Amino acid sequence: MPAEPLELLMAGTAEHDLTTLEGYRAVGGYAALAKARAMEPQAVIDEITAATIRGRGGAGFPMGRKASLLAKDRGPVYLVVNADESEPGAFKDRDVMRFTPHRLIEGCLITAHGIESRSVFVYIRGEYLHEFEVLRRALAEAREAGLLGDVTIVLHRGAGAYICGEETALLESLEGRRGQPRPRPPFPPVVGLYGRPTQINNVSTIALVPKVIELGAEEFAKIGVPSAPGTAVFSISGNVARPGNYERPLGIPLRELVYDVAGGIAGGRRLKAVIPGGSSVPVLTPEELDTPMDYDSIQAAGSFFGSAAIIVVDDRCCMVQLALRAAQFYMHESCGKCTPCRVGTRWLVQLLTKIEEGRGAPADLDLLDDVCERMLGKSLCALGDFAVYPVSSYLRKYRDEFEAHVELGRCPFGGESSLEGIVAPVEQHVHALPADAGVPEAAPL
Amino acid sequence: MSVELVTVTVDDRRVQVPKGTGLVEAAQAAGIEIPVFCYEPRLGPPIGACRMCLVEIEGIPKLQAGCTLTVQEGMVVRTAQTSAKAAEGQEATLEFILVNHPLDCPVCDKGGECPLQDLTFRYGPGATRMRFRKLTFDKPIPLSPLIALDRERCILCYRCTRFSEEVAEDGQLVARNRGARSEIATFEDVPYRAPFTGNVIELCPVGALTSTLYRFEGRPWDTQEVPTVCAACPVGCNVTATIREGKVKRILSRNHPEIDRGWLCDKGRFTYPYLRAGDRITAPLRRGPRGLAETTWEEALDAAEELLREAGAGTVTALSGSETTEIAYALGRLLRVGLGAHSAVLPEATSDALEAFRLPLSAIAEAELVVVVGDDPVVERAPIVDLWLREARRRGAEIAVFGPTGTHPLGPGGAAEACRRLADPGHELGRRLRAAERAVLIWSGPGGGGGARVAELAHALGFEGKPGCGAFHLPASPNARGVAMAWAAAADEDEAEVEHVRLLFVSGDDAASDPAVRALAERADATIVVTMFHGLAAGWADLILPATGWLEREGTSMNLEGRLQRLRRAVLPPCPDELGWISELAARFGVEVSPYAALVYEEVAARLFRDLSLAELGLRAPLPARKPYAAPPPATTPASQPAAPAEEEPFLGTLRLLRYRPLFSGPAVERVPELQFQRPAREVALSEADAERRGIVSGDRVLLRSNGTSVELRARVDRALVEGVARVAEEHALDLHAEVEVVKA
Amino acid sequence: MTLSPETLRRIEDAQRLYPEPRSAVMEALRLAQAEYGGWLPPEALRDVAEALDATPAYCLSIASFYDMYHLQPIGRHLVEVCTNLSCALAGAQRVLDAFAAGLGVEPGGTTEDGQVTLRAIECAGGCGRAPVVVVDHRYREPVRPEDVPAILEELRAG
Repeated sequence: MPAEPLELLMAGTAEHDLTTLEGYRAVGGYAALAKARAMEPQAVIDEITAATIRGRGGAGFPMGRKASLLAKDRGPVYLVVNADESEPGAFKDRDVMRFTPHRLIEGCLITAHGIESRSVFVYIRGEYLHEFEVLRRALAEAREAGLLGDVTIVLHRGAGAYICGEETALLESLEGRRGQPRPRPPFPPVVGLYGRPTQINNVSTIALVPKVIELGAEEFAKIGVPSAPGTAVFSISGNVARPGNYERPLGIPLRELVYDVAGGIAGGRRLKAVIPGGSSVPVLTPEELDTPMDYDSIQAAGSFFGSAAIIVVDDRCCMVQLALRAAQFYMHESCGKCTPCRVGTRWLVQLLTKIEEGRGAPADLDLLDDVCERMLGKSLCALGDFAVYPVSSYLRKYRDEFEAHVELGRCPFGGESSLEGIVAPVEQHVHALPADAGVPEAAPL
Repeated sequence: MSVELVTVTVDDRRVQVPKGTGLVEAAQAAGIEIPVFCYEPRLGPPIGACRMCLVEIEGIPKLQAGCTLTVQEGMVVRTAQTSAKAAEGQEATLEFILVNHPLDCPVCDKGGECPLQDLTFRYGPGATRMRFRKLTFDKPIPLSPLIALDRERCILCYRCTRFSEEVAEDGQLVARNRGARSEIATFEDVPYRAPFTGNVIELCPVGALTSTLYRFEGRPWDTQEVPTVCAACPVGCNVTATIREGKVKRILSRNHPEIDRGWLCDKGRFTYPYLRAGDRITAPLRRGPRGLAETTWEEALDAAEELLREAGAGTVTALSGSETTEIAYALGRLLRVGLGAHSAVLPEATSDALEAFRLPLSAIAEAELVVVVGDDPVVERAPIVDLWLREARRRGAEIAVFGPTGTHPLGPGGAAEACRRLADPGHELGRRLRAAERAVLIWSGPGGGGGARVAELAHALGFEGKPGCGAFHLPASPNARGVAMAWAAAADEDEAEVEHVRLLFVSGDDAASDPAVRALAERADATIVVTMFHGLAAGWADLILPATGWLEREGTSMNLEGRLQRLRRAVLPPCPDELGWISELAARFGVEVSPYAALVYEEVAARLFRDLSLAELGLRAPLPARKPYAAPPPATTPASQPAAPAEEEPFLGTLRLLRYRPLFSGPAVERVPELQFQRPAREVALSEADAERRGIVSGDRVLLRSNGTSVELRARVDRALVEGVARVAEEHALDLHAEVEVVKA
Repeated sequence: MTLSPETLRRIEDAQRLYPEPRSAVMEALRLAQAEYGGWLPPEALRDVAEALDATPAYCLSIASFYDMYHLQPIGRHLVEVCTNLSCALAGAQRVLDAFAAGLGVEPGGTTEDGQVTLRAIECAGGCGRAPVVVVDHRYREPVRPEDVPAILEELRAG
């Protein structure tokens, strides 16, 4: 039986315009803030902890436990909201911000009260201009209505760098440096923004907070699964009949999301692969479709919940091309700080290009596998692993397609793949200065 | 204070180290190497970029970057020695690094002393699996006339950019682009121009940044390394001279943690080619009927003896602050004991009073409050001190600068007055200085009685009793105190005024280029000059004896901390050294002076340094203990009032000319073509207000005029400069007077 | 050219939002880019450096890190086509091809008259309404190849 669309994050957005303070108040907005402010800060954190809100940004770390790690001293504590949504396949935070900005602001204010912070920074990806404007208007309204109290909320716009979604890279970028990750430890709750204890959460995590306070942790915990209560906004894209964002309780089977919620495979094609958590996670095959979508279940199936971004791939797609396109993305977005990621992402692109073009030898498949193995777990941040997961999992689960490229000396799709000819930004010569490293060179020595 | 120890196990070896020790250092303490490229604690917190240091930590599934961890009690660590996983990790890192690194080791200057070579040999893969074209770049490209950049060899460890950003804070050398396209660059490829650029060469763990002066000049297995001490400024950074076939090929830093922490300025690093300058004097010159002509040493010494005998006690000696203590002492023996000529022009005023407030330079970094007074930026007088100040600021110290470009703007010559005010019990900053546990005073500029004024301030603030508080005076010359002390110790008689200068004996290039000394030469009947170069004294000396440079000398030098350090001869001079002929001349006057620096030193040490032996000075000389405060003689002239801030001047008055001696100046710098880009531009700095009043903007050509002299310079508006002054480098100020008119050309 | 007083004022305002003024560099670069016609020539980086009391090299290191700063001249209009996985699966390449053909430029290029720059971009966060095209920083989603002529017409008119 399909799960009812239970909405917490997006509640009311279908029926009302929640971008205005008036509209948001009409559905009970900012009542939770008043309730929270009447509570002791620690009581707010206790509630969040009891609700086990796991981070919706990708790592799934419980928000309350993060708050408990905050170093306590006299100086300022910062709350940073990660609105740098950039994971291919993910577009949930964008809808939260543009349809219910006040819910995010309310979540910020409740959390700030809980961690006793008076300074909030929302790092919003630069491309989200409309969402920035919506948020800015909402913030002005909230400020005028006196809702901010002694808290300041600064909207900080990014400028196009996937890596800034990584929390320490985000902090670096926010501090006016190149967005390159920092080594951890020390973790942000101890040494974060401007060297101060910092709580960092994703938009969809923070925006859940008002509902937790409104419902109470006990009620909230009844939704979803015990290890991960609540709902998530699932971004479903790719070859489905009805792509879009759908808020559902955690634990909903992947099959239900693909077939019932998103209407199944478009155009009557056959399902070939599902990427369950954004392009950075290992792929699942149609046989693995009954996996429930929650952190632990999906991990048991060998992948990650990630940002709940489900990319559905039908049988027209060449998996080598898909791997190459994913690898090109990670090469483009590698920050260049650590060796395995900077060098490895480029090497993967070179190898995949060679294989896709039919110039690969059987040994190249082993080398590809080995380069993946050598990158995995060696990088400073998770991006190095993210670059590996698609490649290594496609190679493992669709090895016959890779081998066909080698045996035939060409792409078996013969130019008919849905990704045929796709141009990746990394192949362009617009951004880098001056004469840059150039397109990955595939010619043998 | 007891240090909490923790026990860690590295490759089955247990070792106890203080809590908070980095894993790399803890392993080192256990005798185990954790290889690194990007890790360099002097550059600030570790960045974990290169991934060379991957180790296995018990209880953590993933390999960890050892450089970013500090040890915890009971930590069990496995390096590549005992962990296959760690070994695989390190091999992976090296394989990735070598994907793009060219195998041009045979023609790479780093070959033979290259960490990448060494670590590949020990931990790397034997063969490459990379079959694609490597990244290629134009190479090498000049990062500056001093540094060549080879982007193909660069492994992007970010040591150089971190140095530029976090240590020197010059903001010139950066990484640009992202990911695989990341590269090291300056803005618009302009030369990397800053006082400390050469350090990036030493920091580079591969041959990506090399010295243009050392390029293709030597290999580590056919060179010798001589540890000595830089004598280009009063800091006395510890250095190593690389010698091949009797020539200095390069200067490297040699970390003295209390003095330089292994940093070196470009003047100290790159001026050595001056030893082989085309106009170096290698034989004595004597003025005859047809001007100066080379002569033999025999004749030269006879001539010198004759001039000295004629002049006798009417001889005045002008000493350079760059002489060794031994040369100054030997000259004192010859001239004072041999001739009774006690009159000397010393390089600059010095004072013993600071000995009560002695600190190592490294203490500046620990300070909570630092006050700098004086007309000159610290970097121009004692460059390394600037790095210590920057570190102090990064660590949260307050740095108050009282001077023409300071945080507390002050007209030229206002330092003594600033000291007087700070001593006032009512002064806010003065009160905080009194209360501070770790406060440092620095006098950076002319005047100040060689440190007497700043010592008086330190005394007034009660610094004697506080081991974390101290004071420094930044002299203009490397060994002014050593020279003054040695000269004084050479004889017991008091200084005597000479009414008629019968002979002026000028020792060294600093004295020879001092206008006051030259003026004195005009009044003297005859002049003997000891100098390295033709240009300096050819016009006015009667007898020129060739001098040696600091890299050619044995001896000692006392730096601005009052630390005596040992210079070692790195190369033989192209002429007999000073002690040799001084000894011979002295013998003719019945005075015994050893021709050997070590023996002269013994004599000096017996009189001045309580028999401190050269061995005790060692490779890294210790700092003498503090002495009780002895009040210095009071200032001979009353503290000059700083120039009054321009008050509503209705019309354009004159400006005070503020001359400064730039770091990159002097006879040695002038003789190294590759260093010329570091010299100050032909410009005058003006305050915003003064420029605006005159309708001048940065880049305008302006005329500086005073009493019939005029100089044309480019204007630069300096927002930090105090009103009422025109700041010009000494070498561009020429004969301008103290007050100048500044107008658009 | 130097930055207008209005831009300088906005940079100062931005600096005040943060405990460390350097945090305003991204906003300052964005403002300077807008003023310099959509890209950051060396003069713009110098101007920003002066406004922030930083070095031009620092501004370059920041500007060259992020995709939205342009260090080469770009057209008066910017057409960006997402070609990441979801958009690619939805036929982004045909949309990109339609723009390339209509404009007569390769992805990454600018029309000869300097009017339009076309480029492929990474995921813009519109995967559910793919393919996404971003025209002058405003999202159009979804865009089909048959929608392209109208967009080009609009650009030519504006």
